[in-house]
Amino acid sequence: MTTATAAIDHRLTDDEMATFVINGYHIVKPDLPPGINDDIYRALDAMSTNPGDAVLDEVPQLNKIWNSPEMVGALTSLLGPDYEMFPHRHCHRNSPGTPSQQIHQDNLNDLRIEGGQIRAPDRIDLVLAMYYPQDVTSDMGPTLILPGTHVLQSLPERMASQGNFRDQVIATVEAGSVVFLHYDIWHAGTANTSQTVRYMLKFLFQRTTDPSVPSWNHDPANDASIRRRLESANPMPMQRGLAAKQRHFRTRMWNRLAGDQALDLSYHDKWAGGAWN
Amino acid sequence: MPKLQRLLYINSESTHPQSPALSAALYEPIEGAITQVDPTSEGLPYDSVHAAMIDGWRVIQVPDVWAGIGSEGAGEVIGFQFILEKIEDFDD
Repeated sequence: MTTATAAIDHRLTDDEMATFVINGYHIVKPDLPPGINDDIYRALDAMSTNPGDAVLDEVPQLNKIWNSPEMVGALTSLLGPDYEMFPHRHCHRNSPGTPSQQIHQDNLNDLRIEGGQIRAPDRIDLVLAMYYPQDVTSDMGPTLILPGTHVLQSLPERMASQGNFRDQVIATVEAGSVVFLHYDIWHAGTANTSQTVRYMLKFLFQRTTDPSVPSWNHDPANDASIRRRLESANPMPMQRGLAAKQRHFRTRMWNRLAGDQALDLSYHDKWAGGAWN
Repeated sequence: MPKLQRLLYINSESTHPQSPALSAALYEPIEGAITQVDPTSEGLPYDSVHAAMIDGWRVIQVPDVWAGIGSEGAGEVIGFQFILEKIEDFDD
């Protein structure tokens, strides 16, 4: 089987794609050669300075991650078949004793980085891919995600006092896992209270062309169930006004991604024939 | 033994004190105390502002009814923020 064929087999299903559109994240653990995660961890640990954007040159084993069929399949699904790796990437070293970050949305304010991001709540144009070369337990500074916030715009200073959210997701993962995030999702690196250095390599992938057909493993027979999920899912309860905004934007996002196979959003009576409530 | 102020911030689903709590943060009057997101926490200390009141917390600020409603381009805040206090004895 060629890599391209294998990648097609690893494209996301309708349900997986809808889950990303609703939650704003997706976790994949590619099937990697034995020892590669340990090799990458050791290479990073031996560096005396942060390699910055050059981390891929300094640790070329990382290409095996991004070229794996699971990664290509997921990225093709999210960003189309002609997606590109963005030139900016970052290796986060979270040492023991590191405090939590404030929950935030990433923002490419640096004008030297070509293609500065503009928030687009009904699009998937840019995906953060976070690769962890070691197991990450809850005390090792796992990434915190607020599901469904990728279609909202945060006000970090106003929410600085909020602390823990009831429905926050803590990405405790096995070595070799990759967490794909919609670029606009609210997230944070958290406190490392363990005795172990935790590495996370953040790469960015971008769409290069607007979608005209679904780039994931789509079956129109699933349209009715997908519409129900988009209209009703509630990954992190919040005030009704924002929940309605989420539903609006994620339905628009799905249809923008589906191109000529967009959902029919004309009125339907969703109560008739259902249970009394 | 001085009496000092503990603060509890709770963001609720609505301005109703009995609506579900969405987030919470406790600020202790202790030198060096850090309040931050905690990946090892197991849920919030109270299910609602009302539950905190029953446990002796006093509401000292109710939310602005316009808070949490994002106007176009202005951004959003999740929940409506109540601030509560307890005055308790602390060791010197």
